[in-house]
Amino acid sequence: MTVSTQVHRPESIDDLALVLRDHSDRERSLAVMGGGTHRWMGYPVATDAVVDTSGLAGVRVFEPDDLTVVVGAGTRIGDLESELAAGGKTAVLPETDHDATVGGVIASGASGYRRARFGPTRDRVLEVTAVTGDGRAIRSGGRVVKNVTGYDLPRLYTGSFGSLGVIESVCFKLWPVPERTVTVTVDDPERVRSEVHRPMAFLDVSGAHRVMLGGTGRAVDAEVSQLGGEVVEGLDWPTRPRHGVRVEVRVPPSHLPTVVSRLNGDYISQIEVGIVETTVETATDVLALRADVEALGGAILVEGGHEVDPWGTPPPTLDLQRRIIAEFDPHRIIEPGRLPGGI
Amino acid sequence: MTLFDELVAVTDPERVTDRPFDLHLHSADAGLRTGEATVVVFAETTEEVCDVVRLAARHGVPLVARGAGTGLAAGAVPTEGGIVLTLTRMNTISDIDPVNRTAWVGPGVINLDLSRATAPFDLHFAPDPSSQQACTIGGNIANNSGGPHCLSEGSTVNHILAIEMVMADGEVVILGGAAPDPIGLDLRGVVVGSEGTLGIVIRALVKLTPDPPEVRTMLCAFPTVEGAAAAVSGIIAAGVVPAALEMMDQGMLVAVENWLHAGFPTESAAALIAEVHCAPEAADAEVDVIREVAEQEGATEVRVARDEAERALIWKGRKSAFGAIAQTAPNYYLHDTVVPRTRLVETISEMYRIADDADLTMMNVFHAGDGNLHPLIAFDATEPGMADKVHAAADEMVAACVARGGVLSGEHGIGAEKRDLMGTVFTELDLDAQARLKHVFDPDRVLNPRKILPAGSRCFDYGGSPLPEGTWI
Repeated sequence: MTVSTQVHRPESIDDLALVLRDHSDRERSLAVMGGGTHRWMGYPVATDAVVDTSGLAGVRVFEPDDLTVVVGAGTRIGDLESELAAGGKTAVLPETDHDATVGGVIASGASGYRRARFGPTRDRVLEVTAVTGDGRAIRSGGRVVKNVTGYDLPRLYTGSFGSLGVIESVCFKLWPVPERTVTVTVDDPERVRSEVHRPMAFLDVSGAHRVMLGGTGRAVDAEVSQLGGEVVEGLDWPTRPRHGVRVEVRVPPSHLPTVVSRLNGDYISQIEVGIVETTVETATDVLALRADVEALGGAILVEGGHEVDPWGTPPPTLDLQRRIIAEFDPHRIIEPGRLPGGI
Repeated sequence: MTLFDELVAVTDPERVTDRPFDLHLHSADAGLRTGEATVVVFAETTEEVCDVVRLAARHGVPLVARGAGTGLAAGAVPTEGGIVLTLTRMNTISDIDPVNRTAWVGPGVINLDLSRATAPFDLHFAPDPSSQQACTIGGNIANNSGGPHCLSEGSTVNHILAIEMVMADGEVVILGGAAPDPIGLDLRGVVVGSEGTLGIVIRALVKLTPDPPEVRTMLCAFPTVEGAAAAVSGIIAAGVVPAALEMMDQGMLVAVENWLHAGFPTESAAALIAEVHCAPEAADAEVDVIREVAEQEGATEVRVARDEAERALIWKGRKSAFGAIAQTAPNYYLHDTVVPRTRLVETISEMYRIADDADLTMMNVFHAGDGNLHPLIAFDATEPGMADKVHAAADEMVAACVARGGVLSGEHGIGAEKRDLMGTVFTELDLDAQARLKHVFDPDRVLNPRKILPAGSRCFDYGGSPLPEGTWI
């Protein structure tokens, strides 16, 4: 993204709708800026202006006994999780990106390591309120944990990178924070599969295997004694590799060993999920691996702005996706061209 | 050639029928609303589905996909006439992959048969609607079906990784994939629950769930519905999300016990069925938490099933509850709404009041953990005026849920049954956005028309007024 001259900081959904309607009428493009955590993903976009979502921050409705929270898109997820934790709950958002915003996490479809047990973030997005590219404020889903009332647009918004509109607020399904959590460094990863029923997370951190367990104190004790290994209280999340060009590999999980054997740098591999985060010195280093991963039905995401396509081969439904986007952002003003295929 | 002859030409004379009996059978689902099928086709291959879709488009005839017909919201009912495309013969399970825990499944595979096929690998398909012995995966995808175990595992959409689908123009697309988070828009996610209005699903890559090493099933009896509902909230507040948390009220307990003789506590106002799935030691700990909370909330009895037989009997009572109603009245109308869990007690009380005022017999058996209510009105449809009375009471019950922050359906779908109520939870603009999605997938409105969205959902200019009935959807 290039430096844009104009920054809009809407403080309400009406403000946001005005900004979008105005830009749509004048066919001026907009970038949407939360914490900037996911800016590495997709094609870099140069826009006429920026929407800063920090004015749309804050928890609106937290119902701990209903396991739901409605929260403004500009809320930092670190702040949200702290507030939820005080009520004994979690939205299971990415664990280490505290400065990411709710809107950014949903727009980029990001999930945390605990998806091994709780599923990806998109499974917990109950309701999305957004403003379309031409300034229409729309709500989809509902504030209940189970719902088939109408098309599941909240899932479509998850991972849409602004193409269907700017997300204004989200309702999440929550989980209780377990009574006790531990991180176990295990010598024999095979034992995790045989001895632990659905761990919270199971990571291969550059060859060292960690498993995160949670539950009642007694249950965790029992699992730890079955498993063996070095035990640390709490959830000890690894630090993402920082040096070089950021890369994320997505494959059917059985192919992870092959993938990590071909990496040179440090990595975090989510066993039984199929995602590897790593870095490479030069973006072209991933090209051979990308061909093989795509043949397996996977994808390799590479930080944008380098000499390699950030997404790789676009999905075959590109035309269908383009037509859906045209209904929501007719002048294609929000983050135009950021998605796979440059749509 | 007539449409009938053309359908025969692309399939098989044995698999196209317009005999009155067949048309009658395929003009209804398990709910009350009926339609009038023009012709019924049983497809066996992808090519046949593509050809049938193209014929429907060319003749401008509605096409309604159908599985086992266990739906309750008239999603698979041909309310506008046309072709009913039955997919029950596309029932192949292939590529069971125990390492990635996936399998490719045809839309006609019966839900329980899938779990039976994967049982040798200690895997199962988590969504388990009460109709799981009959309902198909295609129907589960169409309605984003749930079931008791959705509480911890989520609905069907959480368990579908990819979909192979025939589009309205007869082209085949694959949405989603075996790797996590396929790039681009999540079209898979929005097709699940779309009730056959966006395309015809011909195959799905399902996610399989590891069988739990230990299962404990509990039956807790309460002297009041309030106590049972408070226990539901208390269990969750204590940090335990059981695999299932179901409630049956007294009317339902009596109906089930009279038929099953399984020792259900018929003296109690309500009973909770709680199930935990975990490692053996964890199971003990969770059972203790549930017992403690239940007793705190006044439970008069907390029973833990001693063996698989007792466990199976409890679930038989729960999942056959609707069948057991037959001894009360010949017909029933089963509703499906969701409210925030904390509003359960007041919502249920309001439902009893509505039923009492209308002099109707109502019972409740529902997914309490999810706040997903299934009020069931038992009645005799031959009584004059009864059907109208039942529908009026049911609409009032839905309104009572919506007024408490609830939604129209948690797992049965909107279909034809509730499309006219969509305006009670969504604005014109909200509905217009959904209509735009439908328009992209099916511009000529061939696929299951007039389902989900009410007439006139699409406003071409959002300042303008909706179009009249028939112009859209």
